[in-house]
Amino acid sequence: MGVQSNLSFLVVDDFSTMRRIIKNLLNDLGYANITEADDGTTALPMLKNGKFDFLITDWNMPGMPGLDLVKHVRADARLGKMPVLMLTAEAKREQIVEAVQAGVNGYVIKPFTAATLKEKIEKILASQTAAA
Amino acid sequence: MSGRLLDNSEFVSWLGAMSRALAEGNEEALGTALAGFEGVRNATVTMQVRRVASDLQFALDDFHANAKLVDMAQRRVPDARHRLAHVLRLTDDAAHRTMDLVERSAPLADHATHEADRLIQLQQQGSTAQQIAPQLTAFVTLVSASMGAVRSNLAEVLIAQGYQDLTGQIIRGVMKLTQELESSLADLLRIAGPANGEEAINATAYGTHGPAVPGVVEDAVGGQQDVDALLSQLGV
Repeated sequence: MGVQSNLSFLVVDDFSTMRRIIKNLLNDLGYANITEADDGTTALPMLKNGKFDFLITDWNMPGMPGLDLVKHVRADARLGKMPVLMLTAEAKREQIVEAVQAGVNGYVIKPFTAATLKEKIEKILASQTAAA
Repeated sequence: MSGRLLDNSEFVSWLGAMSRALAEGNEEALGTALAGFEGVRNATVTMQVRRVASDLQFALDDFHANAKLVDMAQRRVPDARHRLAHVLRLTDDAAHRTMDLVERSAPLADHATHEADRLIQLQQQGSTAQQIAPQLTAFVTLVSASMGAVRSNLAEVLIAQGYQDLTGQIIRGVMKLTQELESSLADLLRIAGPANGEEAINATAYGTHGPAVPGVVEDAVGGQQDVDALLSQLGV
């Protein structure tokens, strides 16, 4: 169990099992404030109307895919600098480049380990703190 | 068919020969011309019969390929879709069932760890075994009950993996169908489609590729290490 944190996460994935896995892992890392959405269309208004500190999103989802969600987030004045981790099964090099160009701060491919998720979240948070 | 026979120049030629033989009263030439006329007639009829047979075979092949495709499109593909939807439900149920059991077990382990840590702390603070005997008894009772529950949960986790047998059988069936579909579509392309089917194949475009399947998704990273190396090159 990690240090308790008040950071608020939005986890976007169309599979409830994956959302549950991520939520459990985040709980184990000490993050208890987690909200779920099942695709970009649902997530975007939640992001715009809520106070989230971190976005974890899948790519391949019905409705609005994760890449489009990232582009919307980066284009939004208030959400523009939000840390975004893409957690996806999409594994083509050109896609990773595309995701980076869209503005993701990290990219984890499925299947992933708890250690990888922890490492990437901490790395993103550390770089955000350093940049602030 | 008779019109086409009379148009044939060979018939005209043999008729001319017959006419000449009759005019000349040449019986031998008349016999030869009649035999020639009959030969051409037989050859023409044979050719026409062959053509009709070939057209019939083509139509039968076409009908056979179409009938198979119609059966696949109307019955077996929707059936496969339902089966795959069932796979989705089975895997979803099994994953949630497993996570239920994990979430039920984790607090038991956390509680036992917490109680053990508390006893260790008491010992480190100088408490003797006799002094903490009641806590020790309570702890051992707790561990026994918790581990029993965890063991039972683990047995259920094991049983929940039984979905793989069922989904595996369904997926194999769908694989067989896609193989038959591929073969039927290839037959159809051979009969009526583009010369090499390239147009049909190249028409497909995907926005996403899904999980990297070895030998299917090209240019995929080998794992998280490759992703990290690529991100590092890109300055992320």
